[in-house]
Amino acid sequence: MGVVSLGKRVLIAEDEPHLVESLSFILNRAGYDIETALDGEAAVQSIWAMPLDLIILDVMLPKVNGFEILKKIRADARLKSLPVIVLTAKGQNQDRAMAKEMGADLFLTKPFSNKAVVAAVEELISG
Amino acid sequence: MPRAHIGSKIRERRKALGQTQAALAKQVGISASYLNLIEANKRQIGGHLLQKTATALDLELDSLDGAVERRLAEHLHELTAEPILKNLELDPAGAFDFIGRYPKWARALVTTHRALKDQTELAAALSDRLNHDPFLSDAVHNMLTNVTAIRSASEILETVSDLDAGQRARFDKIIGNESQRLSDVAAKLAAYFDKAGAEMRSLTPAEEVDDFLWEHGNYFPGLEAAAESLLTGQFEGQPASEADLILALARRHGIEIEDRAEADLTDLMLRNGCHDDQANNRLIFSDTVPVTTKRFQIARSLAERSLGDAIKAELEEEQRLTSKAAYNRASRALSSYAAGAMLMPYTSFLKDTLGLRYDVERLAHRYQVSFEQACHRLVTLKRPDATGIPFAFIRADAAGFVTKRFPLQRLPLPRLGHACPLWAVYTAFQSPGMIMRQLAELPSGDRFLFFARSASKEQATFQTHRPLVSIMLACDSIYADQTIYGDGLNVSAPSFVTPIGPTCRLCSRETCRYREEDPIIGV
Repeated sequence: MGVVSLGKRVLIAEDEPHLVESLSFILNRAGYDIETALDGEAAVQSIWAMPLDLIILDVMLPKVNGFEILKKIRADARLKSLPVIVLTAKGQNQDRAMAKEMGADLFLTKPFSNKAVVAAVEELISG
Repeated sequence: MPRAHIGSKIRERRKALGQTQAALAKQVGISASYLNLIEANKRQIGGHLLQKTATALDLELDSLDGAVERRLAEHLHELTAEPILKNLELDPAGAFDFIGRYPKWARALVTTHRALKDQTELAAALSDRLNHDPFLSDAVHNMLTNVTAIRSASEILETVSDLDAGQRARFDKIIGNESQRLSDVAAKLAAYFDKAGAEMRSLTPAEEVDDFLWEHGNYFPGLEAAAESLLTGQFEGQPASEADLILALARRHGIEIEDRAEADLTDLMLRNGCHDDQANNRLIFSDTVPVTTKRFQIARSLAERSLGDAIKAELEEEQRLTSKAAYNRASRALSSYAAGAMLMPYTSFLKDTLGLRYDVERLAHRYQVSFEQACHRLVTLKRPDATGIPFAFIRADAAGFVTKRFPLQRLPLPRLGHACPLWAVYTAFQSPGMIMRQLAELPSGDRFLFFARSASKEQATFQTHRPLVSIMLACDSIYADQTIYGDGLNVSAPSFVTPIGPTCRLCSRETCRYREEDPIIGV
């Protein structure tokens, strides 16, 4: 396909494998290197095992939920400014408020478009 | 609660009969000007004059003594507490006049209010359920995630022009798989809501049954006679022992009794300590159920089966029961009534009641029933030629919620929620198992003797929660000296009296230091 890597690594932490596959495809086409995690434990391992430029984090992950992971990230001085996009199926104000309080940079509510995801990643990584 | 103003009713009836004030006054032996005062609700009417007036107007005394109006007025009083009517500044004191002039409109208003409360409570419960039900929460999340996956794959197929055949097939497959999963989630949601719809229970049946019992004065002579006949035929007229009841149930209906360890029963089966296994013709009891509960449930089962026709006769053409749920609830209430009549036969129970001066604990011990069952029976002693003290009955759980009630004239009992926190029914929780008595005075000046005791509905064990309820009986203070609970009480001395209200919201005691909520009017 001939996609040129931007040298930026994005972790997609989402337990729905087909959605992970689609998001990986479009973000890869946009030039990003992709890592994936299908549950909270795998996400935690990846976050502290390799350098990342952005995390796309689903709230309702099995084993360890997204808010807990976000809290751990912001508690680590090395990861304080790592951009995080929170994905959730709930658009309720309390989840937005929680995401903001835990330190999320952006909040996307399912069902979102591919365009919205790519735009959000581009905005946070370039910013 | 003010006394019922029946003057308006007298006036409306007189006018409907085309009678002048002067003519009616002459007929009943009073002056026209005095009748005018009565009709304007400026004078009370009772006793002999009330009887004569009822006769002159061709009315039953019951319809003129104000009992029906008082009950309607209680309902309307509650209605004035509704927040949506706050701006209207409705004066509860106007209720009697309204009822007297427009009784059918008053009844229509009360019926509509009940339906509104019912639907509001249901909506709140459903909303709460939607917000906190884990199944719904997961289902919505799964559904939206499936939709997102389908959308993402669809957009790729639509917007990426250089997909190879393999990639195209891959995203086609994703759409297919996610669509199937979405269908499965949707089907589960539909099934969930189907079940929820079938199980929705209206709050109205409880109130309809309350009304049904009240209209009958909680006395059913047909059931009393049927229970007495069963006792005479089966148990030689004596109160039935547990063994007698078990034998009767087995011989007459082929029902066996089984005791099982609590650990072998589900929570649903443990409700009321008893499970009616109709498929196998057995009543299954937990080994932790109190003896009195077991005996009562066996008696109730026998009453349901042996006195079914008598119970149906009481419910036949009962227009107050507008749903199957209400009918079934009333049927259960009547089978409990009949069980009480079998375990505590009327004549002997009344005799012992008077002899023991309403000592409920001794009565319960003598008849081997629970405190609550004995209290229930005391409320039913209404046989015209052999009557006990008229009592109100109220049961509250440990959260303070009123779970069962039978009201008394001039003593309003809360329909739902809590009564005034000063009532003995609540102070009884402070000393479990001990009777708390109280001389209580309403803002109207009406005084009542309250006596209450907390009790556990289940046998306590080390590892299980013991749910406590509190049972209270209340009677007009004029009867206090006929009971042991009135001994030593000076019913007219202010120092013995506890000033109470119905509930904070409806109470006019503005300076009460125990007030938990602002009243609907005043302050």
